[in-house]
Amino acid sequence: MNRLIQEALVVGLAHRLHANGSWTGETHLQKAAYLLSELRDVDLGFNFILYKHGPFSFGLRDEISAMRGEELLDSVVPNPRYGAQLMVTRRGQDLEHQLQKTMQRYGPDLDWIAEKLGSRGVMDLERLATAMWMTREHEGASVRQRASALVRVKPHITLEDAIEAVEEIDALLGERSTARPA
Amino acid sequence: MDSMAKRLHEVRDAIHVFIEFDDDERLIIDSPEFQRLRNIHQLALTYDVYPGASHKRFEHSLGVMHLAGRIYDVITRPDKISDPVRATMPDPSQNDHRYWRTVVRMAALCHDLGHLPFSHAAEDELLPDGVDHELITWKIVHSDAMLSIFNAITPPVRADDVGKLALGPRKAERLRLGVGFTPWEAILAEVIVGDSFGADRMDYLLRDSLHTGVRYGHFDHERLLGTLRVMPEPAREDKELDESGTEPVLGCERGGLQAAEQLLLARYFMFSQVYHHATRLAYNTHLKDFLKRWLPGGTFPVDVAGHLARDDSDVLVAIKQAAADREAPGHDPARRIVTRDHFKVAYEKRAAPKDGRANDEDHHGDTPADVEALARAAANRFGEDLVAYGAPPSRKRPPDFAVRSRDGRTSEWASGLSDVYLRLPESPDAYVLADATIRDDVRRWLNDNRETLLDEARAAKIEESEKGVS
Repeated sequence: MNRLIQEALVVGLAHRLHANGSWTGETHLQKAAYLLSELRDVDLGFNFILYKHGPFSFGLRDEISAMRGEELLDSVVPNPRYGAQLMVTRRGQDLEHQLQKTMQRYGPDLDWIAEKLGSRGVMDLERLATAMWMTREHEGASVRQRASALVRVKPHITLEDAIEAVEEIDALLGERSTARPA
Repeated sequence: MDSMAKRLHEVRDAIHVFIEFDDDERLIIDSPEFQRLRNIHQLALTYDVYPGASHKRFEHSLGVMHLAGRIYDVITRPDKISDPVRATMPDPSQNDHRYWRTVVRMAALCHDLGHLPFSHAAEDELLPDGVDHELITWKIVHSDAMLSIFNAITPPVRADDVGKLALGPRKAERLRLGVGFTPWEAILAEVIVGDSFGADRMDYLLRDSLHTGVRYGHFDHERLLGTLRVMPEPAREDKELDESGTEPVLGCERGGLQAAEQLLLARYFMFSQVYHHATRLAYNTHLKDFLKRWLPGGTFPVDVAGHLARDDSDVLVAIKQAAADREAPGHDPARRIVTRDHFKVAYEKRAAPKDGRANDEDHHGDTPADVEALARAAANRFGEDLVAYGAPPSRKRPPDFAVRSRDGRTSEWASGLSDVYLRLPESPDAYVLADATIRDDVRRWLNDNRETLLDEARAAKIEESEKGVS
């Protein structure tokens, strides 16, 4: 994917998550980008590995860092007790407006993912994204098998929560074919 | 207890005074793979700017082993392990603990084995797509020569473990090695190659500072080392109510925050004064241009034998010969290096105004992409061989890090505690470089036409980017 389009989509995702109530820290953006690629087939061009709090991309981390340097995103600390938030700058908004074709093409996918995930906290996002990872890793496995695999790599998550997360992923996967624009 | 105690050896070091190593580590140090690092300059041609900067990857790798071992010993001290993270870590009295200590030191020793001649100076364009020096490190760690050393250790050391910790998750992801990291392995990789408190970073800042003479690259690493801890990650948002669901991270105690801030400042000063120095970037450009013309096929070999056969000494001889022979491939960049006829700064990245207008439409500073576009425009007008874009290969900001409260009960983010972290400036690190004879002309032309050139470049980039979007 062209880097400018990649940047516009990261900006678009960040601002939509924020508009839907998300804290929009790095973890939120990481998990939303991963689920965007898996649930909506919008591949931003980052590799993900199973790492901290589930699927994680150092490529996306570096891109966020570079986008801060390019004044497309700003890191703010509204409350010193919590992690930083990533806010879209004026320059970031301009980029999104300038890439009209891109936003027409991918805007509905960004809206969909932001509506689904904007209100979710980091712990929820970690469970969901890791459940998605296990669903891809263990194709055809039952809900309980995938939930057990999730708990093996993330032992601080209970089996009950893991089952709930896998079931939600199955529901979202079922939804995506009907939610996609023709 | 081991049935036979290992002998300890020691060597003097400019930073750490004495570095100790055992018989197994000595086998690695004495291997041709490691000895090659004696001929790889830590800072490429920076010695043409800072004459003292002629130190090598060899002593740096020893230093990283030393620091990584010390960090490991600090964070696994029984009285320093808190209940919330105890389950993540091996029991200090068990074999697992000793195994991982061996792996950490071995990985630290091996982390630079894949470095090309002149380190990072020209790596991006001189290796085939999908290959970088860490992949070569991975291959060397898995070579027969290294496996025979690892397998002879009691208990045998797994090459995958050494490779994973030497590269860290960032490179494992980029190289698609297909390896995962447990929370404990992730912390140990942080100990070696972490962006915040990695032994690699600490050693190179201290060592480069000493050898370049840039004294404000120094920081109180002894204090910082003593306060490093494994701790629960701080809350990332207001919905996170306690630490029960978080993963452990490497951070520092509250008492080490000032030393950590000093490290951040040391990093800033070293980047602005040394690593992003415009003349150093110019020499990197000439070195890269020379290597592209001199190397067969324009790239370095990536097989282990081919890699081990090349070091800085071969390249230096070739530069000297090419500089003296007008017909030799790479003569012009070689001549520029030898005669110090390097490119000069014609344009430097402009900062945004600091009076609150930075968000106004007409008062943006330059981005690195802007400077690159200006360099391209100047190269089109004045000649491809006379103008270059000078910038470091990556531009990572230091990540936020965890700090444990004085009572040891909660973790907080440095961004919430440290004004130094929040206000850390960026160094000017993107330049248009030009031949000395046209530098003033390039400067005038860019200053006179900056707005038009940038508008045209941005419009062209957007049009080009959206071509494939339907």
